[in-house]
Amino acid sequence: MASVTEWWKTVKQARSVWRLTFLYTGLLLAVVIVLLVVLYQLSIGQMSRQQYLQMENLIMQQTQLANQLNADEFIQQFQHQAESSRQYLLIYQNEKQLVGRLNAIPEKISTCPILTRFPIWLDKYEEIRLISGCTQTLSNGKLMIAIDDEYLYELKGQFISASAIALGLSLLLGLITGLIFSTRVLKRINSVNSVALRVEAGQLSARIPVSQYNDEYDHMALHINTMLNQLQHSFETIAGITDAIAHDLRTPLGHLRQQIESEIKEKQQQNLPSDQLQVMLEKLDEVLFTFSAMLELTRLQQQQEQKSQHFKTVNLQQIMVDAVDLIEPLIEEKHQIIKLKNGLNLSIKGDASLLFRAVYNLLENASKYAGDKATICLQLTKNGFIVSDNGPGICDSEKDKVFQRLYRIEKSRQIAGFGLGLTLVKAIIQLHNGSIKLLDNNPGLSVQVEFSQ
Amino acid sequence: MRILVIEDNQTTRQYLQKALQEQGYEVDLADNGQDGLFLALDGDYQLILLDRMLPKLDGLTVLSTLRKAGKDTPVLILSALDSVSERVKGLREGGDDYLIKPFALSELLVRIEILIQRKGSAKQLSSNLQVADLKMDLLSHKVFRGVTELHLQPKEFKLLRYLMEHSGQVVSRSMLFEAVWDYQFDPQTNVIDVHMARLRKKVELDGVIPLLETVRGIGYRMVENS
Repeated sequence: MASVTEWWKTVKQARSVWRLTFLYTGLLLAVVIVLLVVLYQLSIGQMSRQQYLQMENLIMQQTQLANQLNADEFIQQFQHQAESSRQYLLIYQNEKQLVGRLNAIPEKISTCPILTRFPIWLDKYEEIRLISGCTQTLSNGKLMIAIDDEYLYELKGQFISASAIALGLSLLLGLITGLIFSTRVLKRINSVNSVALRVEAGQLSARIPVSQYNDEYDHMALHINTMLNQLQHSFETIAGITDAIAHDLRTPLGHLRQQIESEIKEKQQQNLPSDQLQVMLEKLDEVLFTFSAMLELTRLQQQQEQKSQHFKTVNLQQIMVDAVDLIEPLIEEKHQIIKLKNGLNLSIKGDASLLFRAVYNLLENASKYAGDKATICLQLTKNGFIVSDNGPGICDSEKDKVFQRLYRIEKSRQIAGFGLGLTLVKAIIQLHNGSIKLLDNNPGLSVQVEFSQ
Repeated sequence: MRILVIEDNQTTRQYLQKALQEQGYEVDLADNGQDGLFLALDGDYQLILLDRMLPKLDGLTVLSTLRKAGKDTPVLILSALDSVSERVKGLREGGDDYLIKPFALSELLVRIEILIQRKGSAKQLSSNLQVADLKMDLLSHKVFRGVTELHLQPKEFKLLRYLMEHSGQVVSRSMLFEAVWDYQFDPQTNVIDVHMARLRKKVELDGVIPLLETVRGIGYRMVENS
């Protein structure tokens, strides 16, 4: 399962690498294509345009001459023209004769200026060549003009294959450089991400490495590191304040307790009623208890960084048996049933008292909120335990909130409690490298605890 | 019976002095670690109440110096530092008991009484306990009320044993919890009372004189009615 998620993570990261690479390659290709088109227009394009322009001029000239001269004069000048023209093949045909270096005007030659390519045998080259030509109807005959532009076509072909090679090379180059570039960029972003994850997990001392390039990434890293420094400082200050509160505020509260206690004693000695004072004392004890629980919570959360040295090997099964022993009469009072399913022998490194407290708290919660006649089940798993009940459960939107300090679900407010139990449980589990999850038991709630030791 | 109180807070010091004197103890006071250590080494005390955070010399140093000097006067540590590791530290340095501030006076007095008594009567190694007509055989785990055998769960047996071992003394709920379950935390609910109610049902048979007494706001006491 873990390897699949790992793989998916790499795929997702690879995706952004490829996205950047493709963008870069696409831009590079666009530039190369524009360059090639411009180059083509300036060389081969220009050449062919000029040739066709000359052809048109020639046609225009002959058309004019055909109108001005009589037939013989025209044929005479045409013969001269056809012989002297090296570039163009000129043929004139009227009803009587055919003038020019070709024995006939081939059929299906389109009218100028549309050119048709057709094969002819050329003595000069002693081969069949493809030439382009068109026909023009003159006042007393038909003119065909053609040009041997095969070299132009060859040139075009060469240009296209050269362009294809150029494009292929730039594609390859773009992909390689793009890949190297994006991988390096993402590597630096990922270093920021991994530090963020470590901080999220409570390791406040994690910092982003800064390179010697002094670029934007280094600036970002420096800013984030400064921010983390301030954050860590604030956390330490808060921890200091809580300790100060522990000593400074609990002492006067303790004195208050002492005074109430003395008063009660005096009243009792004088045989006067002391019930109200007793109630005050109980309320004060509740305040002191909440207070101690909050301080303890802070301490537990701080210990994350400097894992307790007093951890010993603890048998979870023993803890469960003891916790069930303790809660059992309360369960019986509410006509509930508790089932302990074990058989697995799981030992972890930890603090027995804290773990007992976590298990007991979860059982107590189950008994408190599952209602009368509920069935509560405590089950040891291969790397943790599950506490489940068949009570009303907790709706999904509340599942995360119940771990917050002093949070209490609206409908449970009439049940005695301080909203610290689950927060403490979570802190204890996390201190032992564990995770806690609330799941639906359909019906009821299932609390799953897993240790990754 | 002399008790030394080493405590820097004046209100608490005076309060302790008054409360202890009312109980018939003679009380000496010290408001810092240095004076406290001097008095503790010099005087002959049945018990020392020691604060953890003290000016001049902190509580743990006072304690360890005292132990190194060969003084085995019982020491009850009073402290606002209530984490388990702090407790362990205190007990490891040679403390005999640890009470977290703020504490209930009654609980403190109960613990003092037990500490002093423990010191005085070097553990009698007996395999039988008896309070009035309640008899407990520690070897066979059998319990009799008169001639009737009582069938107790293991934890109920432990509860009863602790109460019988401290018969005549008041024991608090947290003392019972720690003795029977051996974990350190305050369940902060009536769960111990529920356990006691169950035990009571089994021990206090119809028509016999009750032995278990509830002490309001503190805990329980096993009394030997004559």
